[in-house]
Amino acid sequence: MSADFAIQVRDLTFSYSDGATALAGITFAIAAGESVGLVGPNGAGKTSLFLCLSGVLKPRAGLLQVGRLDPRDPAQRRLLPTQVGIVFQNSDDQLFNATVFDDVAFGPLNLELSPEEVRKRVADSLERVGMSGMEERVPFHLSGGEKRRIALAGILAMQPSILLLDEPSMYLDPRGRRELIQLLYTLGGTRMIASHDLEMILQTCDRVLLLDRGRLIADGPARTILADAMLMEAHGLEVPYSLRGTSAPER
Amino acid sequence: MLHRLRVAVAGLVAALLLALLARLPLRWFLQRLGAAALFFALFALPLPWLLAGDTPDWAFGPIRLSWRGVEAALLITAKAISLVTLFLIVQATAPLETTFKAAHALHIPGLLVQLSLLTYRYVFVLADELRRLRIALRVRGYRNRASRHSYRTAGHVAGTLLVRGYERAERVGQAMRCRGFDGQFRSLDKFTTHPIDIVALLLLAASAVALVVWDRTF
Repeated sequence: MSADFAIQVRDLTFSYSDGATALAGITFAIAAGESVGLVGPNGAGKTSLFLCLSGVLKPRAGLLQVGRLDPRDPAQRRLLPTQVGIVFQNSDDQLFNATVFDDVAFGPLNLELSPEEVRKRVADSLERVGMSGMEERVPFHLSGGEKRRIALAGILAMQPSILLLDEPSMYLDPRGRRELIQLLYTLGGTRMIASHDLEMILQTCDRVLLLDRGRLIADGPARTILADAMLMEAHGLEVPYSLRGTSAPER
Repeated sequence: MLHRLRVAVAGLVAALLLALLARLPLRWFLQRLGAAALFFALFALPLPWLLAGDTPDWAFGPIRLSWRGVEAALLITAKAISLVTLFLIVQATAPLETTFKAAHALHIPGLLVQLSLLTYRYVFVLADELRRLRIALRVRGYRNRASRHSYRTAGHVAGTLLVRGYERAERVGQAMRCRGFDGQFRSLDKFTTHPIDIVALLLLAASAVALVVWDRTF
């Protein structure tokens, strides 16, 4: 596998313990710095793909390389959190510490950094997401948008080169969603965003992977794939409003 | 630990003095004390009757009391109020997570501290889930009655909460692993001991020992 790509996946297959196939022979490669959207109907395998990439789920077959690390190898899997960070759908699952400071510091502490470095990373991450000054707040009392940003700060504090965002605009009101999109523009690095919010995908991603029932159906420019009405409808999606009326390529 | 009423009362006075020193808000303190008192009353109130037996020290019609029972009831009450007061002092004078982290600094196993912190964090989330489940029940006309339907519904609600809690625990575990968690509890908080802390600790320990010695000997 080439070391030039940030993420490389070849024939990735994964099934859950109850036998249900979540991913069936997925193959793609993402270059460093690319912003890629992951779309598909419910149950397509988007979350399962992210969990395989972060080393949480062990694939049944296939080759995998994330930030030059192989998540299937236990020794390399331990180093994965420094390369790839995943922001979950439900921020309550990710904010499990008593205060915001403790939560953002959780990752750097696990990396065994010095106390000064930990504090610096917490301060920098909170500033990047616009949440400076919230260190002593209790996660339970935060709004959906604030929780999402704190969860992101906790991931950014580990300084990963790859970010995986699973339905980042879910549970957000329109203002929270707008602020999130603005924030996504400022983040560098390689990004994969799984979402039903196709307008947001259009705004933030140049390339899109379409998944359905564990298979990779399409891989190409976002505007081309999302404008293809027949393709979208065949896989439980629809063309975003901003693209309707544009001529879709004949299939 | 204490068997004699006057010693227990002395302990109670000491605990209340500590509460005064800690500047516990009176209404807050009395509310919680009241809740605990209701519970203890269950055990304390029947004692004068129970210990009367056939030879009561004081009888007025059907009411028969024994002084031993009254003394035992007062003893339990004094000890219970002391305990609750001390517990409320610990709870009121520091955020709970700080207390847990202090326990870790005192070499309580990290696993216990981590579990306590996670429990504290998610008990409110679970309570919120329960609240939403109850609203869902009400909007479909459910009312709590002593009927088989009610018992079955209560069972379903409990089971649902259990399953949701379990699934959330799985997801939180995944999130922890994604951020490099290896089983060890880590915290930045440093606790420093000042001379006044040592003096306070020695005073408290000495008082406790003195109470027990007094109880046993004099």
